[in-house]
Amino acid sequence: MAEESLAIGTDEWVAAHEGRTSGQVQGPVARTFGRLPWWVWGSIAVLVAVVLPLIGSTYLMRVGVNLGLFLMLALGLNLVVGYAGLLDIGYVAFYGLGAYGFAMLASDKFGVHLPTVVAVPVVVAAVSIFGLVLGLAARRLLGDYLAIVTLFFGQMFVEFALSGDAITVPGRAEQVDLTGGTNGITDVDRFSFLGVEFSSDRWYYYLLVVLVVLLALAVRRLDGSRIGRAWKAVGQDPLAAEAMTMPVNRLKIMAFVVGAGIAGLAGTVFAAVQRGVFPSSFDLPLLILLYAAVILGGSGSLKGALIGAALLSLLPEALREPSYSEMVFVLLLVAGLALAVRSWRDRIIVVVATVVFGFVMNLLFTLLHVQGVPASAWTSGPVSTLLGHWLFVPQDRVLWGNLGFVGLVVLLAVLTLVGTRVRPILLPAIVWLSIFVWFVRLADVPSITRQLLIGALLIVLMIVRPQGLFGRRQVEVL
Amino acid sequence: MELFVQQLVNGLTLGGVYALIALGYTLIYGVLQLLNFAHGEVYMVGAFTGFFVMVGLGGPGKPIVPVWLMIVAMFLAAMVVSGLLGVGIERFAYRPLRESTRIAPLISALGVSLFLQNAVLLLFGSRVRSYDTPRYWSGAGPQVAGVQVNPVRILVLVLAIILMVGLTRLVEKTAFGRGMRAVAYDRDAAVMMGIDVNKVIVLVFFVASALAGAAGVMVGLVFFNVNNYMGFLAGLKGFTAAVVGGIGSIPGAMLGGLLIGLIESFTTAYVSANFASVLSFLVLILVMLLKPRGLLGTRAIVKV
Amino acid sequence: MTVALAVEQVTKRFGGLVSISDLSIEVSPQEIVSVIGPNGAGKTTLFNIITGVYRPDSGRILVEGNDVTGLAPSTIATKGVARTFQNVRLFHNLTVIDNVMAAMYGRTHAGLVASALGLPRARREEARVREDAKELLSFFGSRLMGYRWEQPAYSLSYANRRRLEIARAMATGATILLLDEPAAGMNPKETHEITEVVARLRGERGHTIVIIEHDMHVVEGVSDRVVALDHGVKIAEGNYAAVATDPHVVESYLGRGTAGTK
Repeated sequence: MAEESLAIGTDEWVAAHEGRTSGQVQGPVARTFGRLPWWVWGSIAVLVAVVLPLIGSTYLMRVGVNLGLFLMLALGLNLVVGYAGLLDIGYVAFYGLGAYGFAMLASDKFGVHLPTVVAVPVVVAAVSIFGLVLGLAARRLLGDYLAIVTLFFGQMFVEFALSGDAITVPGRAEQVDLTGGTNGITDVDRFSFLGVEFSSDRWYYYLLVVLVVLLALAVRRLDGSRIGRAWKAVGQDPLAAEAMTMPVNRLKIMAFVVGAGIAGLAGTVFAAVQRGVFPSSFDLPLLILLYAAVILGGSGSLKGALIGAALLSLLPEALREPSYSEMVFVLLLVAGLALAVRSWRDRIIVVVATVVFGFVMNLLFTLLHVQGVPASAWTSGPVSTLLGHWLFVPQDRVLWGNLGFVGLVVLLAVLTLVGTRVRPILLPAIVWLSIFVWFVRLADVPSITRQLLIGALLIVLMIVRPQGLFGRRQVEVL
Repeated sequence: MELFVQQLVNGLTLGGVYALIALGYTLIYGVLQLLNFAHGEVYMVGAFTGFFVMVGLGGPGKPIVPVWLMIVAMFLAAMVVSGLLGVGIERFAYRPLRESTRIAPLISALGVSLFLQNAVLLLFGSRVRSYDTPRYWSGAGPQVAGVQVNPVRILVLVLAIILMVGLTRLVEKTAFGRGMRAVAYDRDAAVMMGIDVNKVIVLVFFVASALAGAAGVMVGLVFFNVNNYMGFLAGLKGFTAAVVGGIGSIPGAMLGGLLIGLIESFTTAYVSANFASVLSFLVLILVMLLKPRGLLGTRAIVKV
Repeated sequence: MTVALAVEQVTKRFGGLVSISDLSIEVSPQEIVSVIGPNGAGKTTLFNIITGVYRPDSGRILVEGNDVTGLAPSTIATKGVARTFQNVRLFHNLTVIDNVMAAMYGRTHAGLVASALGLPRARREEARVREDAKELLSFFGSRLMGYRWEQPAYSLSYANRRRLEIARAMATGATILLLDEPAAGMNPKETHEITEVVARLRGERGHTIVIIEHDMHVVEGVSDRVVALDHGVKIAEGNYAAVATDPHVVESYLGRGTAGTK
């Protein structure tokens, strides 16, 4: 009996290892979310979503619609990548196919105006068939190769949309215009069900709330079902799954088709709410943003996909207004600093050193006779007003901002190389430089900044916490 | 006939460039089994480096050094800068992930790609810059089958061949090449045989990225224009070439590059420019279905 | 029906190397057959051919009289042949009970729509499968019970992973189990336990078992019959005592010339 309990002891130690190592960053987040059952959080979220339009502006509705579409896409991608482990880099093309499909069947483009209840199912079915065909073509390909083929598929879609306005058909003199090229297809019909037309964003917003809730519930059901389990098994070890009665190819294609269908459905809503479709909406940046969302939240986790998508879809909104964006930036900086520096004594030292470092840099700029900008000319919100007397902003913001950016990247790289003893010395310089670069340069170019942040986020996340905020630790034994 | 010869030369030039990019993908995949999505961006940075060296040496209008020296300087600088960038990417974005899951470095590579694209956009703006080659070099080219051929293209083709021959010798004849092949075959066994795996990987990244940098300057010389988005499409083509040839195989990458280059230039000339990419995609799909490991790739046996 | 599994004149080559050469083996229902042989003898390749991972160059595989040669591995598994792997291939990130439930895919029916909507039919099946899985795991005593159900498989000890792999193979509903070195890497006590488990698999569950094993104590303890392979050829067959002392077998393990001196 003594031996028996010893054996359990070893097992328990191994099992508890995860708990011990994950206590640091994830601990507070997981605890807060773990305390209440899922449906409490779900109900709160739905309640907020339903009440929001009553107080919200048109702008807020637009943000809500975009968020809803993004959530749908993230849920679909999560099934394909997070569950079945298929690296589908052409996912956005299905979204585009859905949008273009609806636009072709319900606009003046070809004079076809199918009713919504017909057009949407037809388009979703057609997009799913596309998924089926691509899935069949790629079914025998291993992970990397699947990525290549789907990447190309996505690129082909964009190319087709771009140059589909002048297709030469053998036997016809004039060229055929299918997609409208860069101008896309405009004046797409609104959705209408039973004679009720979806005339404003608010309608689509509620439609998306319903769709997202239904989808999330379906994914939750799938998670603990025969199919969901098989997907996860196939994602982890296809060979073992095959040996354990699971038809791997069929399951993979099924995941592919379901993902395509969800994206296609989201695409039809997008076309109707935008009342137009353009090739640039379905390009690589959206795809990377989606992947970032699914991975940030934790691939394979429903909660993770929803929260990751919400965070990343609201990021551009936070960056749009300089007075918001500087607040978000400083908050993130402070949070990052609090996580990086553990003791209160060190935190105070870093803050003081940063302040002093800033004044030293001011002196340096003055000695070099660099033209500065008076604080009143560049401050835009409460945070920058506070910093106005401390931060030196040169006249040539592009030049100095770029120099600062390069310096910052180099310093951050160096930071990862040096030992823990040197880090505290570098930290004040990095903090000052990031504030400098942000106010001098990055805050002025929100779209570039956003992409830079997402790129950096993907790299850092993979290194620090590859399972994302809510994912379970994944191991690969092989 | 004239069109055919022109297109043949164009196709070979383009193919040489794709082959150089494809070689980078193949080398890196060979040692790390990693699809380096950021490779196209390394190539783009090479093209930019060449451009700035040209501007630094007086610009296309009146170079302050002989033209041949300027071109040599452009290539050397681009290769060194790209090479170092590649080494940096490996050090900071891939090495920490070497023992991680299979998908992690791929995602990290997407991140690097996005970051570099936008960093260049931030630093240099979205303005398209031109190498403006004809302003400093417009000698009469050699005659091929009675057709006048652009000398820049011949230069690029010759350079590409020299680099490829050099690489082949490097891999086959030197200690580094032996180390590289050993790491590609079995990294753990290579460690036990006393090979410094990190050093080999760093060198592979340097060589692969330097080739991409050279390809960047070549494209600048032939097609003039460089911008921060050029890496994506070229990377995709090089990637296709590597896969069609058989990823991990060096002769495969060269063959694939030439094939894709020729297909593109002939489709553009005889069918339609819009179809060029579509056709190379179809070739990719066809090869993947018929020979999933590529034309010259070796068939792997599933180990159970 | 007297033959559960038949390997008929199977040959498999990899390039120039003949891995299995004209091999025939018959296994009766509820028989335990051990396959032994030095490394590279073709034992695991044999398993891969039976389960459909490799397609034989010639010859046939019959499961309860039905030809399964060339079928997909998942189909063969559904028809009643399940296996474990030499290097343990669990679904490491799934929980213990999910590993077992996942393997019941082939004998359950809930489709995509039924699963996503949570139809009563699907829910009933799910509940039944969960009960089955618990019952199955109880086969291993307290080893895989209770709190372990909801733990990821990677957190299990090595011996427990091997046990879970056997449980997973049982869950497919297969009558024929192919066990690839189930005692590898285990301590003597655990090895003894595995020997008992194999005996009980037949005694209590009525399984037919083919087992690859290097540990001769296990082979001796469980086998009705032993087949010895070398270079893909059957060199001896019979009861343990006969095969273990067969001069060909001794030679293949110890090398030529030592057989006579022993």
